[in-house]
Amino acid sequence: MTKKSQKNNEDPSTQPDNPVPLPLLGAAWLIPGLGHLILGKRICAAVFFGVITAGFVTGVLLEGEVGVPMAENPFSWLSTLACAGNGVLYIFRLIWLNGLGPLLSNIPLGLDGGGDPVAAGFGYGKTFLITAGLMNLLAVLDVSDIARGAKN
Amino acid sequence: MDHFFLMIWHALLVALFFSFLWRTARRERIHLFLKTFLIMVVGGVLAGWLMYPFP
Repeated sequence: MTKKSQKNNEDPSTQPDNPVPLPLLGAAWLIPGLGHLILGKRICAAVFFGVITAGFVTGVLLEGEVGVPMAENPFSWLSTLACAGNGVLYIFRLIWLNGLGPLLSNIPLGLDGGGDPVAAGFGYGKTFLITAGLMNLLAVLDVSDIARGAKN
Repeated sequence: MDHFFLMIWHALLVALFFSFLWRTARRERIHLFLKTFLIMVVGGVLAGWLMYPFP
């Protein structure tokens, strides 16, 4: 075997991708850190769970608003996508604010995102909520990379 | 809550997250954590001072 072909075999981009099980990605999204825990990365799982939960709780305590879709504001869909990245934390917050019945009947428009726009921490709170959601989405992508074998 | 404390808390969480996401060795994680944390905190304070003269 030549050196060039050896190098190609070591290059992860030339290796066939393993299929990523969708339930694994779903679990990684739903509970922050669960995907890494399933893959045996306990420390990463604990850190990701702690960091994302702390960010979300800080956002809620600061009276931040979780992203909910609004018909008159197209950008609200982007903040909804980012906040929905928090998984079960986002779902629990929506149930807490709207109740389960109204939540299901008002999807996707007409939901209450909570928060107090007059509160000093409103903007900061929303930043924490969006950051936590985006971090969890990055963690899901990381789980996908590890499951495919593209990352150790 | 104090705005500076919130900035530090945010920088701490983000730096911790990325140090564990992007690095695997302990020493590299500490290095990336300190680097990103300091860039965010010092950069935030510096940007605040630069904006000070503007209304």
